[in-house]
Amino acid sequence: MDPESRNGFVGLVLVSHSAEIADGLAKLVAQVAGPSVPIVAAGGGPDGTFGTDGARVLGALREAAGSAGAVVLMDLGSSVLSVRAALGELPAETVAQLRIADAPLVEGAIAAGVTASTGGSVDEVLAAAQEARTVAKF
Amino acid sequence: MPSSESERRATLPNEVPLHARPAGDFVRAAAQFPAEISVAANGKRANAKSILEILALGALGGTELVIAASGDRAAEAADHLAGLVPQLG
Repeated sequence: MDPESRNGFVGLVLVSHSAEIADGLAKLVAQVAGPSVPIVAAGGGPDGTFGTDGARVLGALREAAGSAGAVVLMDLGSSVLSVRAALGELPAETVAQLRIADAPLVEGAIAAGVTASTGGSVDEVLAAAQEARTVAKF
Repeated sequence: MPSSESERRATLPNEVPLHARPAGDFVRAAAQFPAEISVAANGKRANAKSILEILALGALGGTELVIAASGDRAAEAADHLAGLVPQLG
């Protein structure tokens, strides 16, 4: 992957209780959206169990908040809480580059990834993710 | 602002349903154009720049898509996308 091209594209952070879900979704989104979109997966608890790892989530947000910004998608419950807690530990200029999507994780990540791959802004990518709340599946 | 409407028809390859990866390629192509673009198939209509709406068309291989574009560079957008559809894979 060309590091320079990565800089221009909005990134995604995928937070799940399961490392397999976060990692697998990252691979799926990369297939559909192409290699340009930076994706950081933060799944599972600190000891490899199901759960969330606040330090990993914090690191993922830091890593993803590049020049073009990033959209954060979560599964539910403590994933949301850990993202909120991490935002509280980040400087305001980093938080300003992040958008938290209230969206279904899989569908939202696919929509966000494709929109990011078109060169969309962080707010356009957020809107694409949240469109997944209302677009019918068939 | 110059405005026009263009409609083109194009058929998916028989072996290529409009599933996630080809739909992603189609949406990326549509997003290059400022025009408003829709795709119709199976009695449904989708925003060509929304992968979720495109996937919800449920278009199987061999399906004819009706691509309608309006606004800036509409004809160019419709021509480009109609040319892309038979090449999706």
